[in-house]
Amino acid sequence: MTKNIRNFSIIAHIDHGKSTLADRLLEYTGALSEREMMEQVLDSMDLERERGITIKAHAVRLEYKAKDGNIYILNLIDTPGHVDFSYEVSRSLASCEGALLVVDASQGVEAQTLANAYLAVEHNLEIIPVINKIDLPSADPNGTIKEIEEAIGIDCSEAILASAKEGIGTEEILEAIVKKIKPPAGDDNNPLKALIFDSWFDNYLGVIVLVRIFEGRVRPGMRIKMMAEGGIFEVSRVGIFSPKMKDVHELFSGEVGYIIAGIKRVTDTKIGDTITDADNPALEPCPGYKDIKPMVFCGFYPTQTHQYENLRDALNKLRLNDSSFVYEPETSLALGFGFRCGFLGLLHMEIIKERLEREFDLALLSTAPTVVYRVTKTDGEIIHVENPSLLPENYLKIEEPYVLATIFVPSEFIGPVLDLCQEKRGTQKNFAYIGKDRIKVDYELPLNEILWDFYDRLKSISKGYASMDYEFIGYRESDLVRLNILLNGEIVDALSLIVHKDKAYYKGRELTEKLRGIIPRQMYEVAIQAAIGNKIIARENVKALRKDVLAKCYGGDITRKRKLLEKQKEGKKRMKKFGKLELPQEAFLAVLKVK
Amino acid sequence: MCNFLYIHIPFCISKCIYCDFFSVPFDKTLSEEYVNALCKELILKKQNIKFLKTIYIGGGTPTVLSEKSLSQLFKCLNDNFNFSSDIEITVEMNPGTLDELKIHTLIDSGVNRFSVGVQSFNDNELRFLGRIHNGENAHNTFKLLKKYNLENFSLDLIYGIPGQTMESWKFSLENAVNLSPSHISTYELTLEKNTTLYKLIKDSPNHFTMLDEDLIIEMYNFAIDYLSKNGFEHYEISNFAKPAFKCIHNLNYWDRGEYIGIGAGSHSFFNNVRTSNIMDINEYMNSINSNVLPIKESIVITPREELKEFIFLGLRKKEGINIKKLISSHLVNEKLLNALIKDFIDTGFLELKEDYLRLTQKGILISNTIIVKLFEKLEI
Ligand SMILES: Nc1nc2c(ncn2[C@@H]2O[C@H](COP(=O)(O)OP(=O)(O)OP(=O)(O)O)[C@@H](O)[C@H]2O)c(=O)[nH]1
Ligand code: SF4
Ligand SMILES: [Mg+2]
Repeated sequence: MTKNIRNFSIIAHIDHGKSTLADRLLEYTGALSEREMMEQVLDSMDLERERGITIKAHAVRLEYKAKDGNIYILNLIDTPGHVDFSYEVSRSLASCEGALLVVDASQGVEAQTLANAYLAVEHNLEIIPVINKIDLPSADPNGTIKEIEEAIGIDCSEAILASAKEGIGTEEILEAIVKKIKPPAGDDNNPLKALIFDSWFDNYLGVIVLVRIFEGRVRPGMRIKMMAEGGIFEVSRVGIFSPKMKDVHELFSGEVGYIIAGIKRVTDTKIGDTITDADNPALEPCPGYKDIKPMVFCGFYPTQTHQYENLRDALNKLRLNDSSFVYEPETSLALGFGFRCGFLGLLHMEIIKERLEREFDLALLSTAPTVVYRVTKTDGEIIHVENPSLLPENYLKIEEPYVLATIFVPSEFIGPVLDLCQEKRGTQKNFAYIGKDRIKVDYELPLNEILWDFYDRLKSISKGYASMDYEFIGYRESDLVRLNILLNGEIVDALSLIVHKDKAYYKGRELTEKLRGIIPRQMYEVAIQAAIGNKIIARENVKALRKDVLAKCYGGDITRKRKLLEKQKEGKKRMKKFGKLELPQEAFLAVLKVK
Repeated sequence: MCNFLYIHIPFCISKCIYCDFFSVPFDKTLSEEYVNALCKELILKKQNIKFLKTIYIGGGTPTVLSEKSLSQLFKCLNDNFNFSSDIEITVEMNPGTLDELKIHTLIDSGVNRFSVGVQSFNDNELRFLGRIHNGENAHNTFKLLKKYNLENFSLDLIYGIPGQTMESWKFSLENAVNLSPSHISTYELTLEKNTTLYKLIKDSPNHFTMLDEDLIIEMYNFAIDYLSKNGFEHYEISNFAKPAFKCIHNLNYWDRGEYIGIGAGSHSFFNNVRTSNIMDINEYMNSINSNVLPIKESIVITPREELKEFIFLGLRKKEGINIKKLISSHLVNEKLLNALIKDFIDTGFLELKEDYLRLTQKGILISNTIIVKLFEKLEI
């Protein structure tokens, strides 16, 4: 059986065409009728379709009659391309024996091409280079091939030239999958070992777990156990995606499919965990499991207090589907009751916020995102600070998370890129030419510094050509202080931030100035101050509103005027009240605008 | 039964650059058909009107109508309605649209209040605004009014015109006061979408800018001081009157009294329903000619909306609003109200005298903000 199975992923930098290529493969193998075909079929969430990006991993089973006359089962795993989801990508890759490395011939190798290719190499995958978008006039297939060979060091003599858009190279790709990628090893008779690479909650079926079976088999009625999380469940259904859900009697080693086992919470099915037979467990789990921790936190507050309960319910529902996102209640003096939420990264945060507002119709105020600081208190206790306003007055030391960032940039822009990394407290680790006019630099940077505007600035100083990827490398001690913002003399906890001492003055000045532009004029003057401890380091004023009056009611048109006033009142609903002050959402994100 | 009547004449000789009121270029044939329709509408609504205390003919520019049309309109009014002995009949007019013949017609018809859209006595400003007249035309109009010993006349003035200085604003106010009108209205020029002025300022912000807020406030405050020194009572946000010459018709709006509107785009308030007429002149006439009331929208006023109206209309008046009445509506929490008022009084935006709550001069300037706060805090 297994000798006719091929498990593979498609990996690429963002937008190089993974999902489009998946469409072609589905189409070619007849997994979908033409009528069912739409662009980027596998991106099923509204948000994915709108943004044109893949957020969750997807798996689909294709049947392909190869030129050798045999029918092969190809399990394709489409993965998210964004760095926030790199752990999920690594678990998807761990489920495969091979990968299509898709590179856009008009862009060449980019940061995530490299990051994902290295991941594939680490997992001993057979890599098939696919040079995509050769239909574009600006495509440079030969240059791209050279870049792949140089940057990644894999042989590209048999790279496939393709256009996922126009269906060029599809058959060649399928043949290469069959010929080059190894069939899965493993034995149906061993104790069950299945790697979870995705899971989600379905209102009718409960949690659906996507697995790759490495050893043994799984069928309805079996009692299974999560080796890391510990839960035990009874399997009710197993099946495959072809691409629609289709139940089967049994899943065998080497196969990819789903398991449904009356599981109520996705948190019980952590990505990377191994499922085994509860009554005949495997000796050890699949390697590589990590309990991933959120890297970025922010506060979510309902702009209208009566929506607090709704927000809690909504967070709860989203969490059902996304175990990498965490939240807990918090209270802010300025904002009232809300939740501190943790995410894998900024994109993840934006996605969750957008879903809360869109799917649950909530008006939310979010505070500026922050990283998690590790603080050693004076009594030696170590705490993690996810909210700048909770940084204790005194402590022995404070550490912040660092990442190793890999940046690809055409050599003509290298100057400004190095300046930017310097400004962001980076330490250069590596510098190399890729091809004749592109450079790869590695920098160690505080995660905090790249949260703000780093990526946007990188893009703008390189006219959009630079790309970046990063990985967490640990905590380092830093000279950090808390910067408080005071409005009319009172600290607004939700505006506090932790900054490097050398930048505190500059940030304080910039921030107060930005706030002056953002806070609308009110009935009273607003004094904005920035302070470190008791020391005021910057101040600005928002003059009191002086004129807001309607002239005339023409010919008795009272209704129009009433509606105008009501509209003005509605506008205020979106403002957060802070004593006598009213603050718009932008005020809480002002810090992000400070360079 | 209703005693207040508004009639809309949506014609002007040409469009002023800041104007977003409903008016179209004057066309004799169209205007004659229109007046026919007005008379029909008057008859359709006849049973709602008992006798008349005020008639207000506004526009547009009512005085672009021919003597014939004006006579026809007034004949219809006289034939169908009883007038109270002290009736106020106002006609809006623009300098340059009035001659001796028309004055005669109006006086003979019983018009006893003349509201003249002077806007400015500075010819450059008038030209910029696209007005059809200059300062001299305005003076001539008043000569004519005086010749007939008409003393109940009002002037509209505009401040905040791009390029206008404090000096030229004073000049216009002085000219106005020297004509000894019974009433003066001052309006801030506001930038409305869909006007030529709006486009002008958006397209060439280097040549044309709206005046600085501080200067506008200075102009407004100056007008208040100057006019009260000269015997005008500041009885509403934009209106000033000599004793006994407040505009009764407009006061009725602010007191939430009922009124019937006639004509395209006019508004009525009757039996607790606010209605507006169709704006399009032809559609309006078609409807009337098939004996159908030309209603575009009608809104039944809920108690909540009534309260809001009571507040924002009442606060426009110098006299303010009676808080006893506010509390008796049962929609507001008395404690909440008192705390709120105290706050506003302490900060100098409102004042309370003998149960009447009113805006201070400082409060008037941000009256919208204050009103919205009241709505918000009182949860209405
Ligand atoms: N001209 C051309 N455009 C292509 C080709 N393949 C993909 N595209 C376009 O490139 C864009 C990105 O394609 P996707 O398939 O969404 O890329 P992706 O790699 O799945 O992107 P992420 O999921 O966000 O990482 C889309 O606009 C596609 O239509 C190709 O061969 N030629
Ligand atoms: S005269 Fe009055 S109604 Fe006519 S266009 Fe000028 S401002 Fe508008
Ligand atoms: Mg995709």
